[in-house]
Amino acid sequence: MSKEKIECKEVMKYVCQSLGDDLNSEKCAAIKAHLEECEDCKNYFKSVEITIDCYRKYNVDLPEDAHNRLMKFLDLEE
Amino acid sequence: MEEKKLITDAQSGDKKALAQVVKNYEQTIYNFAFKICRDRDKAEQVMQETFYSMIKSLHQFDGKSKLSTWLYRIVTNHCLMLARKIKSRQFVSIDDDEGLFEEKYTADWSSIPYKGAENKELREKLDDAIKKLAPEYRMIFLLRDVEGLSTEETAQVAELTVPAVKSRLHRARAFLRKELNQAFIK
Repeated sequence: MSKEKIECKEVMKYVCQSLGDDLNSEKCAAIKAHLEECEDCKNYFKSVEITIDCYRKYNVDLPEDAHNRLMKFLDLEE
Repeated sequence: MEEKKLITDAQSGDKKALAQVVKNYEQTIYNFAFKICRDRDKAEQVMQETFYSMIKSLHQFDGKSKLSTWLYRIVTNHCLMLARKIKSRQFVSIDDDEGLFEEKYTADWSSIPYKGAENKELREKLDDAIKKLAPEYRMIFLLRDVEGLSTEETAQVAELTVPAVKSRLHRARAFLRKELNQAFIK
């Protein structure tokens, strides 16, 4: 597998499938090697990571009045 | 108080314990409901329905899974029900991989202003992109990548097989990346 020529498109798909997984297969070694030397795929990998990071950091706080309405709705006011 | 004891007390009718369980999870549930609905009013409605359902069926909770996993399942179901009721949006179909992956990719994201999570313009772009994603894909991306559940837990919450979760996840990631790429680079 590692001797096979890997297409960028395949690497991009693999990046989306496997991000966050434990990557130890033989195919994975070939993907990692490709990522090391291909600037485009490196950029792609980074962009997927940033996409996830952006959504992870986008959070909203529960407003106090929404908390109060919830406790009233559930009849759990103190 | 330890969660197990808190749940047991709540199951036996201790209102104070029940209120504490709600307080322990209200922020997580509201935030997650917002992430699926992308709307504060809808998120509040879903949060209320989620805890109402939780209280109604708390006696059935057997402690085999984490309470958080159980709550994620309830909140996810309420979000999907709400989405089905609204049905006003046309979602982009990503049921096949065609068009999700480029032949050649060159854009460099190193200079895009993504670090300010409070940035209004960035938030609008993130909202616009994820709103195009069908809720069935959206929830998988949010549970696995954003909330950090394992693939197995995500499968349990979504009542899907692990391969089905992986398949939806990679399409959702590729779709969102592509949408943001267009929003950032163009």
